[in-house]
This record gives sequence, C-alpha cells and structure tokens, in this order.
Amino acid sequence: MTDRISTATMYTQSLSSIMQGEAAVTRTQQQISSGKKWTSAADDPVGAGLAVLLDRANSQLTAFGNNASTVSNRLNLETNALSTVNTHITRIQELAIEASNDSQSATSRSAIVAELKQEYSSLVALANSSDGTGRYLFGGTTDATAPFSTTSSGVTYTGDQTQRQIEVGPNVSVGDSDSGSDVFQCIPTGNGSFAARASSANTGTAVVSSSSLDANTAYTGGTYSVTFDGAGNYQVLDASNNVVTGGTYTAGSTISFAGVNLTIGGQPAAGDSFSVKPAPSQDLFTTVQNLINTVGANPQTPAQTAAQRNGFFASIEDLQQISSHIDNVNAGVGARLNTLDETASSRSDQSTSLQNTLSNLQDVDFAQAASQLSLQSTALQAAQLSFQKVQSLSLFQLLK
Amino acid sequence: MTDILATGTSALLAFQRAMATISNNVANANTPGYSRQQVVLAAKPGQFQGYGFVGTGVDVTTVQRMVNTMLTGQLQQSSSEMGRLTSLDGLADSLAQYFSGSSTGIAQPMSNFFDALQAVSSNPTSVAARQSLLGSAQNLATTFNSLQGQLQQVDSQVDQGVTAGVATVNQLTKQIATLNQQISSQSSSTGQPPNDLLDQRDQLVLQLSNEIGVTTTAGDNGSLSVFTTGGQALVLGNQAQQLTTVSDPYQPARHSLALTSAGGSILLPDNSISGSIGGLLQVRHTVVDPMEAQLGQAAAGLASAVNSQNKNGVDLYGNMGGDVFSTPTPAVFASSKNTGSATLTTSVGSASSLGTSNFILQYDGTNWSASDATTGAAVSLSGSGTSASPFVVNGVSVVVGGSASAGDSFLVQPSAQAAGQIAVTMTDPNRLAAASPVRIAAATANTGNASAGQLSITDSTNSNLQSPVNIQFTSATTYSINGSGSYTYTSGSPITVNGWSVAISGTPAVGDQFAVSANGANSSDNSNANLLAGLDSTNLLNGGTTSLTQAVSQITSSVGSIASQADYALNARTAIDTQLTTQASTTSGVNLDEEAANMVKYQQAYQAASQIINIANETFQTLIAAVHT
Repeated sequence: MTDRISTATMYTQSLSSIMQGEAAVTRTQQQISSGKKWTSAADDPVGAGLAVLLDRANSQLTAFGNNASTVSNRLNLETNALSTVNTHITRIQELAIEASNDSQSATSRSAIVAELKQEYSSLVALANSSDGTGRYLFGGTTDATAPFSTTSSGVTYTGDQTQRQIEVGPNVSVGDSDSGSDVFQCIPTGNGSFAARASSANTGTAVVSSSSLDANTAYTGGTYSVTFDGAGNYQVLDASNNVVTGGTYTAGSTISFAGVNLTIGGQPAAGDSFSVKPAPSQDLFTTVQNLINTVGANPQTPAQTAAQRNGFFASIEDLQQISSHIDNVNAGVGARLNTLDETASSRSDQSTSLQNTLSNLQDVDFAQAASQLSLQSTALQAAQLSFQKVQSLSLFQLLK
Repeated sequence: MTDILATGTSALLAFQRAMATISNNVANANTPGYSRQQVVLAAKPGQFQGYGFVGTGVDVTTVQRMVNTMLTGQLQQSSSEMGRLTSLDGLADSLAQYFSGSSTGIAQPMSNFFDALQAVSSNPTSVAARQSLLGSAQNLATTFNSLQGQLQQVDSQVDQGVTAGVATVNQLTKQIATLNQQISSQSSSTGQPPNDLLDQRDQLVLQLSNEIGVTTTAGDNGSLSVFTTGGQALVLGNQAQQLTTVSDPYQPARHSLALTSAGGSILLPDNSISGSIGGLLQVRHTVVDPMEAQLGQAAAGLASAVNSQNKNGVDLYGNMGGDVFSTPTPAVFASSKNTGSATLTTSVGSASSLGTSNFILQYDGTNWSASDATTGAAVSLSGSGTSASPFVVNGVSVVVGGSASAGDSFLVQPSAQAAGQIAVTMTDPNRLAAASPVRIAAATANTGNASAGQLSITDSTNSNLQSPVNIQFTSATTYSINGSGSYTYTSGSPITVNGWSVAISGTPAVGDQFAVSANGANSSDNSNANLLAGLDSTNLLNGGTTSLTQAVSQITSSVGSIASQADYALNARTAIDTQLTTQASTTSGVNLDEEAANMVKYQQAYQAASQIINIANETFQTLIAAVHT
C-alpha cells in the first residue's frame, strides 16, 4: 500500500467501519432481545431445516399427548364401569348361592328374584354407560345410540366389534374402550373348558354337582353325552353316537372320560342324559336371566327340583366365568393405562431432548452474547472516536 | 533584462496554472469519479549564448489525469458483481425471512394440520375437532397461496427491475456514445486529453457495469467500445445499441433482454447478463422457479395424498369421503408463436412420481418431443398423447387435443403453480372420512380362536366395497365367501374381497363366521383418520423418498442457503470492491493535505517569481537611473 490515501477514502473507510460496528451491535442486540441466534433461514440454512423437523416432532408429541389423555379418560371410565359390573356380579353370585340353598321357600326365593331383576337392569344400564361426550362406552364404533336394548327375548347388542386404535406415541397405538360384544357377550360358560348340562327332557332326579378337567387326560374339545338306562348303567357317547365308555352308575361318584370328570348324584330315570360341550359362549344377560328363571321356577315335582338344582349349578358356574372374564377385560384395560403412563414418560423424555437440541440450535447463549455486545460497542466507540480524531487532521486548518 | 522578465512571467503563469489545478482538485475532492489532476511542468529550451545555454523559464506541458489504468477492468467487473449480488441478496434474503418466519412459513401450518388430524383420530365424532381440522386445512392452503404469492411478487419485482434497468442502460449507453464523440473530437483538435470528459465516461461505464455488467476495449481517437459480459456490443464508437425487452413466448409477463439492430432484435440469453439486471434474472431462475416448483410439489403431494386417503373412508353421514383440497393440475403455457389449434390437458398420476422440472413439448410436424425447460436437454417421452395413452413426462400425463402445426411448442410446469392453486373444497367438517367404509365382526357363536385383524381398503372405487360379506369356515383350513366357493385358509394371510382386505389369524372351528358390513352414519371408527394423520411422515414425494415434513424442511433449507450464499458472496465482493476502490483512489483520489502542501509550495514559488519580476524591475530602474545622470 502506498502512503497516499485520498481524503474521501479516509472518510468513507471510517464511516463504513462505524456502520459495520453499528450493524454488528444491532444484530447482537436483536439476538439478545429475541433470545434466538437467528430469525431467518439465511442465517443458518441447515439449522433452520433441522429446526423444522424437530419442531414437527415436538408438536407431534404434544398431539400424541392430547390423544393419550382422551384415551386415558375413556379407559378410566371403562375400568370404573367394569369394576361396578363385577360388584354386581358378586352380589348376584351371593344371591345365587343363597337361593340354591334347599331351605329357601318359594316366598323367600321370590324376594331374591326381585333383587336379581334389579341387578339385571343395573347391569343393562352399566353396559350402556356413556363416555361423557354423548357417546356410549361399550358400543364399539357404533356408539351413537345405546348399544344394548332390552327386548322380549333378552338383551340385544346393536354396537359393533371394532375397537379404535389411538396413536399415543411414535408407532405406539393403544386400543380404546372395548366393544360391548367383547365385554358382555362373548363369555365362556361352564367351567371355562366345557359345560355339562342336564337335558331338559330328564325325568329323574339326577343332578350334576361338579365338573372338572381330568389331571391326567387332556380334554380335546369333543362333544359327548352321558345317558342312563334307568337300571343303574350309564353310557358315554361321542358326537357320532359311538360309545366311548360305560359302566355302572353309583350316585355321587365321578364319571371320567376323555379328560372330563363329572360327579352326578340322584337317581336318573331311563333315557335321562347330560351333555358335555366345549364351553359355548353366552352373554352376561342371558346368564343372569337364566338364574332369575331358575330361582323363580317354584318346583313341584322331584324332577323339577332336580332341574332347578341343575340350573343353579349351571348359573353358579357361568357367573364364575363372567366374573373372571370381566376381571380379564379389566386387566387388559389396566395394561393399556399402564402403556399410556409409560408412553407419557417416554414422550416427555423425547420432548425434553428435542427441546434441548432445538435450544442448542437456535437459542442464544446470553453470557456469550452479552460479552460480545460489550466488545462490539467498545469497538464501535473506538471507531467513532478515531473518526473524530482523523477528521480534525487537516493541513488547511494549520495554514491560517 | 527581458530574459529575466520573460522567465519570471513564465514562472508566474505556470504556478498560476498549478494553483488553479490544485483548486480544481480541492473543489472536486468529493466528486464521484473525479481523478486528481496534475500540471506537468517542463523547463523551456535554453537560449544559446556562445558560452552555453541560458534557461528561459518554465512551460506547462499538459494537465495530467492521475489514473491507474491497470485497475479499470477490475473495477468494472467488481461493479458488475456488486450489482448482481446486491439484487440477488436483497430479494433472496427477504424470501428466506418470509419462508422461515414462524408466522409466515409453511412449517407451522403444515404441522398444525396434521396435529388437528391426530385430534380427530382420537375423537372422530367430535365436531369441534373436525371444525378445527377444517380451519387448519384452510390456514395451510392459505399459507401455500401466500407463499406462492410472495414468489410471484418477487417475480414481478424482477420484471419491473429489468424494465427499469433497460431504461437506465439505454440512457447510459447513449451518454457514453455522446462522450465518445466529444472525447475523440476534442482530443484530435487539441492534441490534449479532455480529462474531465474521460472521468465522466469512466464513471458512466462503472454505472453501466453495475447495471448490466460490461467489458470495454479502447478504440481509435480515445473512444471506448462497451460490450455485455456475454460479448454483445452495447456501444461502438459514437453508436449506442438500443436495449429492449421481449416477452417470454410462454409467459408473456416475463421479459428477457434483446438488442435492437438493423437486422431485427437479438435475444440476450438471461445467463449472459451480469450486473443488477443479471442478478434479478438470476433470482428468477435460481430462487423463484425452483422454490415455486418445490413448494408446489409439497402442495400437490399433500392435496393428492389427503384426497385419495379421504376417499378411502366414510364420513359422519356414512357416505364415501370426497376431496378435502382441490387438486392442483400441472400448468400448460402455449407459446405465443404457435399457429396450430392444439391444446394440452394435464393431470397428475400420483404424488410420488410428480417431478419439479419444467419441460417443453414441441411438435415438429410428425412427432412430439420433450426437453428440459432450463437446460434444453432431451427428456424421454412415453405414450402417444391420446387420452388412452397420454404422454407421461416427469409424472405429468399430457393429452393433446386439436391439431398442432410444425414448430408449435408448450411449456409444462408439473408443480410450479400448485401452491397457488391449492384450496380447501370441503366445507362441511362432517364430510371428513375418519371411519373405514367397512367393519368386520366375528360371530358371537364362534368356538375357534381365530380373530380378525385390521381391515384395509385396497380399492375404494369397487362398487361392492360396502356390500355385506360373510366369511364362513368350512373346515380349519378352508372357508367360503357368502356361502359359495371354497378357499384355502392360511392363518395371517390376507383375504381380499370387494376392494377390502383383512387378515384372519388363529385356528377357526368349523362353522365359525366373520361378517364384513358397512360402517354406517355417525360411526366413531377412526381407522381412516389414523391413516390420514400418518401421511405427514409417509414418504410421498420424489418417488417415495421424501415425506411432507422433510419436503418442508428442504424448502426452508434451500431458500435459506441461497440467501446465505448470496450474503457471503456479497460480503466477500464488498471487501474486494472496497479494496479495489481504495487502491484506485491512492492514484486518483484527492488528498487535501497533499493539495495544501502543494498549494503552499506553488504559492511560495509564485512569490519567488514575483520577486524575479521585482528584481528585474529594480535592475532596470538602476540602469535607467545610471543613464539618466
């Protein structure tokens, strides 16, 4: 560089360094006041693109959180409803056992029938629980109208079997409330594996007093019938009427075949039979209605008494199945609520980490920015002072 | 005696000239483009006196203009770059602000839209959630429209800038041509350089270079010829070429530059122009066009994906879903030179195949061919252009109607207009199809453990889609449909009927049944809403490699990086330009201290010369007095 500098250059250079200083101070000041390192993608193109993705992921987590609270609300309603159902079932079981006692009279049983009818309508009301937003909890996705309606033939279900899946985390979905069909309809009967039931045509006094699975032989799901000849012999036939086994009947002894243990007491008449079927499913209301019918049967003959006893046996078995079925469904709801809690904490962890990354990407380090600001203002002041000095230097001022 | 007087007078005159020049320097210390001038003094030839040569005083040879000619070319180039980068940086920066601003960019509305879909999926029958979804869809479409509007506004700014620039260029070239004439006539008549005219011309050339980017070559008699960076002459001697604008044949609102000459106008390719006009044209080609295409691709992708997914479901009224957004169609621009009656109809096959590159379809009299609108490279063309077999280029299906003449051409923009076209057509929030059209239920009497998985829709246009279907197992490994046929059952493999598909798994018992039936009105099923909400992370675009969220991120990054590159380049160029200007001013600039010192120097010399006159006078008086006495 030569020693010659034009006066105009001197001014423009001083001026441009002052302007640069001012621009830098303003930029830092903007950063401090907005809290952001940059406000335009031009300042950090890669960071801005990344911030779009992180922002999206973060806001998606918030949306998942909202979903989770909607589901959680409904699942809590469901678990409450299911617990109440089981309380009613427990009461019905008590009533069934009470009513089955031989000491009960027709009058005392009719009181029980009244209470059972009360329980029955309570259960129907529970099955039609609302979710608080005008929809029905147990209607599947056809939940705009009450899913269960009482007709002359019992209770019919008009909902569907669809269970909504709600996304509550990245690739995590949780099932919404269970459909009424799953909760109240498809309930196994008997002892859960098979049901031994007396034929309605029986004329003897034979009564099933217990049914269980054999510890040594597996029950493979076949259908059988145990028939009596009235002369003290029984035969077990399979679905194709082939004799599986047979023998001499002793009241109160156990008959075993194909993994099935049956204890039958009383005196069967000739042609009396008991069927053994793989536990067919039955809806909760039918089971309770059957119990009501049994309790209110008012038997007059020994055969009718036997039929009532068989009815009690079946009802108590079926109620036990209902109770454990409702428990299972409720356990499933609990597991989903657990999943919601777990995803809530994983969402919050993810969100924290996303926000940290975002913050590193775009937030200002205030200490650094503040010290930068003071450095820049010092530089600006220096530039302004030196300009003042330089502009006072002119030979013409001395040539007076 | 007269010798002394003459010498003294010559000195007085010379120093007066010198001081006049200094005054002129001081006066023009702040005049842009002014070059410091200096008198060049030379001793007059001596007079031979037998014993030697006696000096006769001083002469002003010339007034010299102090210019470092080595820097002229660099300064011109720097000025052109400054012009280009200032245009580019200014517009790119404002676009980057707009695209990445949290209240103006597309990222936030896009995110809100999908969040609103999530809310519908968890609460499919809530009218509030649906209403909010419709609102966010509206906001998303409006943001797309306003970003496209912003890009189009920049494009029209470019055009206004080009038109205004052309007027400036024409004025400057005319002035330069006039100066060329004056300079050559003055220098040939006087033999001396017309310094101030030369300064003026240099300054005008710098301004011209800032506007359009020029190179110069010196001609005869001090005239200067000026050319564009692409080599087209703007000024030849005292002739200025008239610059004009011509409309783009496909998009008449867009103008390019052309030179008017006797033989017609010569089109100047946009990339042969630099300076601020070149910068503006560069904004059009490297910012506006690609951003419109990328933004439009996201808009078209969103519209087609959301619409087709919504058509796979049923709404709250139990009807099959319809369009949520209007579907943007690729834009067609016929060349203004077309003579045939052909018209093109375009449509998009799928969002994933939709490209971003604009292309030109040209008819040569027998065949159609396609070429890239930017590079001119040939693009492969399939189909025959009929509605049965449309041309397919860059994911756009083109059907030709009417008849084309040889030479006719069309510009097709697959996605560039989509962001401006997208709109929400759904007005009733209940029309959002959150539910699946069909549902499946196992018969309650089933005794096997087979269970049905999620139903998926494979063909929503199947006319029997919602017809009831009964799947009945005739054995553990076979099933019938609606009581007829016998199909092999494999646990977990999909059963596809009437446009839906479902996987049943487990071991069914003989007689087990599954019934598929229509989801009716007011269903709270959310399976289609789940699929809609998942669209943002589905790789929809660019052949299934880019999701909508990624596309939005890329848009933000790419507009940002254009702006940041322009910013860096402008900063670097400013430093170079400052350095060059400083360097030039070390020779040409006026230093007032130097002028003051010179002024003192010449003032003192002038005083000394006055003394010479005085002494000559006194000497003469002495002589007169001696003779007189």
